[in-house]
Amino acid sequence: MRLWKRAGAWFEATLGRARMECEMDAELRFHVEARVEDLVRRGLGREEARRQAHMEFGGVERAKEECRDARGVNFVEGVMQDLRHAFRTLRKSPGFTTVAVLTLALGIAINATMFSLVSAYLMRRPSAHQPERIMVVSSVNPGPVFQPDAYPVSAPNYLAWRAANHVFSEMTAADEYRTVTLTVQGQSTALRGAAVSANYFSLLGVSPEFGRTFSDGEDQAGRDHVAILSHELWVQRFGSDPMVVGRTVRLNRENYAVVGVMPSDFRLLGYTRDLWTPLTLGAEDQAAAARKDRSLRLFGRLKRGATIEEARAELTALGRRAEESFPDNEKGWGVSVRTLPDFLTYNFGIRTALAILMTAVGFVLLIACGNVAGLLLTRAAGRQRELAVRISLGASRLRIVRQMLTEGLVIALLGGAAGLLFAVWGVSLVRAGMTFNEEVSAVPVGLDWNVVLFALGVSVLSAGLCGFVPALKASRTNVNANLKDESRSASAGQSHSRVRKILVTTEIALALFLLVGTGLLIRGIYLLEHQTLGFQVDHLLTASVTLDSARYKDATRQIEFVREVIPHIESIPGVEDVAATSDLPASGPDSVSFSIRGQVEQPSSQPLSTLHGVVSIDYFRTAGIPVLKGRAFTEMDDSKAPKVVVVSQEFVHRHLRDQEPLGKQVRLQASGGTGEWSEIVGVVGDVRTYSEASRYDPEVYEPLLQQALSSFLLMVRTRRDPSSLASDLRNAVGQVDEELPLDRVMSMPAVIDKQKRGDALFVVMMGVFAALALTLAAIGIYALIAYSVGQRTREIGIRMALGAGRGDVLRIVLWEGLKMTGIGAVIGLLPALALPKIFEAVFFDLHLQEPPLYFFVPAVIFVVAMAATYIPAWRATRVDPMAALRYE
Amino acid sequence: MDKQLELLQGTLDMMILKAISLGPLHGYGILLRIQQISKDRLEIQQGSLYPALYRLEDQGWIGSAWGESDNKRKAKYYHLTAAGKRRLQSEAEKWNRMTEVIEGILRARPEEV
Repeated sequence: MRLWKRAGAWFEATLGRARMECEMDAELRFHVEARVEDLVRRGLGREEARRQAHMEFGGVERAKEECRDARGVNFVEGVMQDLRHAFRTLRKSPGFTTVAVLTLALGIAINATMFSLVSAYLMRRPSAHQPERIMVVSSVNPGPVFQPDAYPVSAPNYLAWRAANHVFSEMTAADEYRTVTLTVQGQSTALRGAAVSANYFSLLGVSPEFGRTFSDGEDQAGRDHVAILSHELWVQRFGSDPMVVGRTVRLNRENYAVVGVMPSDFRLLGYTRDLWTPLTLGAEDQAAAARKDRSLRLFGRLKRGATIEEARAELTALGRRAEESFPDNEKGWGVSVRTLPDFLTYNFGIRTALAILMTAVGFVLLIACGNVAGLLLTRAAGRQRELAVRISLGASRLRIVRQMLTEGLVIALLGGAAGLLFAVWGVSLVRAGMTFNEEVSAVPVGLDWNVVLFALGVSVLSAGLCGFVPALKASRTNVNANLKDESRSASAGQSHSRVRKILVTTEIALALFLLVGTGLLIRGIYLLEHQTLGFQVDHLLTASVTLDSARYKDATRQIEFVREVIPHIESIPGVEDVAATSDLPASGPDSVSFSIRGQVEQPSSQPLSTLHGVVSIDYFRTAGIPVLKGRAFTEMDDSKAPKVVVVSQEFVHRHLRDQEPLGKQVRLQASGGTGEWSEIVGVVGDVRTYSEASRYDPEVYEPLLQQALSSFLLMVRTRRDPSSLASDLRNAVGQVDEELPLDRVMSMPAVIDKQKRGDALFVVMMGVFAALALTLAAIGIYALIAYSVGQRTREIGIRMALGAGRGDVLRIVLWEGLKMTGIGAVIGLLPALALPKIFEAVFFDLHLQEPPLYFFVPAVIFVVAMAATYIPAWRATRVDPMAALRYE
Repeated sequence: MDKQLELLQGTLDMMILKAISLGPLHGYGILLRIQQISKDRLEIQQGSLYPALYRLEDQGWIGSAWGESDNKRKAKYYHLTAAGKRRLQSEAEKWNRMTEVIEGILRARPEEV
């Protein structure tokens, strides 16, 4: 604190207060002495002249005082005075200060921690030139998929829209998810690559770390064997070789020339690719069959003067034109346009969770502010006399208000500083938990300037929230009553405690609302965690395989590979069953539109839609999905045989209205566009569409022997711990094709964990915040009751002296707490009733109806509040009537 | 010497402004100037002169700077600012209108009412 005094003195000196005093002194002295000289000149003796001069001048000190007043205390000086005063009073009550500062520090710390996530994930600008002028064009999928309006676009649509639009100066396309095999000295690895049009980098406005990006024409067949490496790949696989540009690398069994390396900060939000190759679009990409392959992300840079609304209008019109021209494939599909920053944060899918977390921490902060405001009010009540004296001595009420607010500000700023320190720890804690997938962990999170400014803002806001009510109350201090009334008036604290009661009631309402919300979310996520998925999750090993077009040119080769590799895997000891599939169960497969033979065609706006999987013969047995009717696929269902499909029970229920499914024929839009009818030969059990959602959707399965896949997943049912078989699996595949790498080799439970993204972390954080809210509210109610018991010692003493028993006293005090809790609970419960609806609207497929929660949560609140009330209430019963009455 | 008149409320400011409008003066100089112009007919509390000066400076109508007095001593000299000039003008106008009105009232004869 000595440091503060010195700093204050330094301020004063520089602000010129001391100098002003000095000058005033000199000026007045000059006046008197000049007068003395004049009087002496007129013939008075020096002593006499001095006496008269002083007499004429009057009181020097009084004049000085008036001068100071006249000059007015300037604002900065006033603030300094207030600050000094605030520090002095806070230091005088260290207990109060510590509690208040720590309470706010806690609130601000969790706010800053959460905001560091907002800053990292939502406020980061993508590394592109004028990113808000870049539009991302997506399809709108009519099917029941996650983020249907961020679905990729097919090549024919890209080519048509690029040619026809008038809003973009340039358009580019990227196939962002291409697994590429890199072979270095016989060792193959699967890389996450992207195939991009030649103008991709120039449209984004990014430059390479060195080398160059693609040049015009390199996305034409024949010139397209060039590659750009990411900084990470260059460091990890090429030893930061400065001569890497010009080197030849082997990708998908073909030679590519490295032309450049992108800097490490080039990433669109979290998602970095290992390398980029040109996207070539030839004649076959204009064919009708290519319409089903929606895998391109489109970017367009707005022309000068063009707006996003114009882009939206035009692309929507183009989308409608495609729908009219190609109803078979485009029925029901739409187009959506977003700015690049907006798209990236939307696609990241973290916005809703962060919004909820920020709301939760906001509530906790409000409750913390309520507690601190309550503390300040109590202090203000104790300082009534001091304030009355100061007002009667001429302090303006405005000044008193300012001073109280300054006190709040000092507490809040101290709390903010301490909060930021806690947040350093909080951020590293949260960061450690955010490793559930590469995209999330690739984004650096930390206390950047955004966070510091936010914490400062929150501190000032809290200062206002905490200091406002007490300041207003203090300024209304009744001077006469407080100065005259020597005895402790019973009513003095009453209006203060009324305000405090309102505060505590609000806190309880907030805590209850937050608790119900958290309870709903935890319950919802718990239900998802423990739902049956429709297949057997454990003892499954999975891996993804991408067959390159160099060796696996056509369907026959691709099918051959599967036929050959499965026996190899089956021969591994400990393996029970092996299957290949286009999608792992409960991993959100694609959907296709289809028609049923003999049924009236659906209107084009609502085509029939079903999830669609392509699976090998033993898939159902391997996954543990029961065959309920008919049969599964067999060796006979090959390309020469009539086409067959197996459907899920939900399919029969929803699309066939529970009629006999076997023998019915369907035509899928995805099956090569041949328009062949496929016969339903079996019905299998339902599998959840997503492991992280509760929905079942109709699903249709095609046999892999009739519908080849260039990219698929292997599923191995094992008797042992699946992950122990990973290297055996690699070897088995290597026996068939040495150069073919396996990617994402992991057990099914691990796959599901990854799909859940941060659900567990989210639940933990929400739980912590709700617990904090409840604790703070309990502290609030405890402090208030304790204070009011202290105030009412005399009253209680009288009551007891007049014959009230301990039970009566206990009841009176408990009743006080019960009233507040009850009112607060009702206030909090009403808006909480709307929460399931809100969550259903903002979360994908979360259906919550948890009536028991609406009894359970208030019950918890009551128990906690009663416990908090009971302690001071019990103390009240210990009041000795004689002591209480004598206390005065 | 006639008996000195007590200063009318609010007129000291105007007189200070007028006094230094004729040239920069230190506090004592202002006192002397006013007494000289008024031919010693006004009584000014010397002690109240300075708060008035500080107030006027605070309001931005006068400025101050340290300089040397006639007898080679450091003294604080006050001068009129542009805002002060305008203020003096408007104050003077107001005063003139006021005296006219009051004069008119005091001159009124019964037949005019």
